[in-house]
Amino acid sequence: MAFQSRKKFCYFKENGITDIDYKDVKLLRRFVNDQGKIMPRRITGSSAKMHRKVVRAIKRSRSIALMPYVESGRE
Amino acid sequence: MRYYETLYIVNPNLENEALDTTMGEIGTELENTKSKLINHRVWGKKRLAYPIQNQKYGSYILLQFEGSEQDKMNEFNTWMKLNNTVLRHMTVTLDEKPDVYVEDVKEESASEETTETPATEEAPAEAEASEETESESLEEATAETDENESNDESEDSEESSEKETEKKEAE
Repeated sequence: MAFQSRKKFCYFKENGITDIDYKDVKLLRRFVNDQGKIMPRRITGSSAKMHRKVVRAIKRSRSIALMPYVESGRE
Repeated sequence: MRYYETLYIVNPNLENEALDTTMGEIGTELENTKSKLINHRVWGKKRLAYPIQNQKYGSYILLQFEGSEQDKMNEFNTWMKLNNTVLRHMTVTLDEKPDVYVEDVKEESASEETTETPATEEAPAEAEASEETESESLEEATAETDENESNDESEDSEESSEKETEKKEAE
């Protein structure tokens, strides 16, 4: 194969994280693209279980204005 | 009993005293529901991800408590909604009992730093003190490297297994 993609890995398994806090914006930023959309599992490589937790945490932090629903080009 | 966590945003223009009084009001309102307060502290003034009621900033306040009856909790929820100083609030159930937040932790670490740094600055006369700090830092470094090595090993094993699978596929 000419193109070998880098092996994807579950960020949480690698770092031994089991619970995700919605207040941990620094961590959650990794799983959101520039527009503020939640990135799909096929790109982040996280396991299904952890992805569900990420999604819940991101949606919670959106509702309390820690993370944006939409990030349009600010400034 | 279940444990809950409420994070709420208060108007940033409130000054220290006004903020304390609103926090007190909310605390007493919650205690009226027979809930036990565990933590009630200011998380800090932060920039909101999107404007709420034309406010760009907000003071986040974290409230952790042991819940009581559901009806009373709902009453508290509606009371919070009607409270004008609270821009937004959200209650979440916690899996475990939250630790009591102790502010002293930060102060202790700060005091340690302050005690250590002058010793190192005055260093040449007191070589022992500096040596101690060096040994500590070395220990920390070794601990970190150990962790890294363990991580590396696990990665290596994964990679080797991947290679094996690839070989099998090739065959």
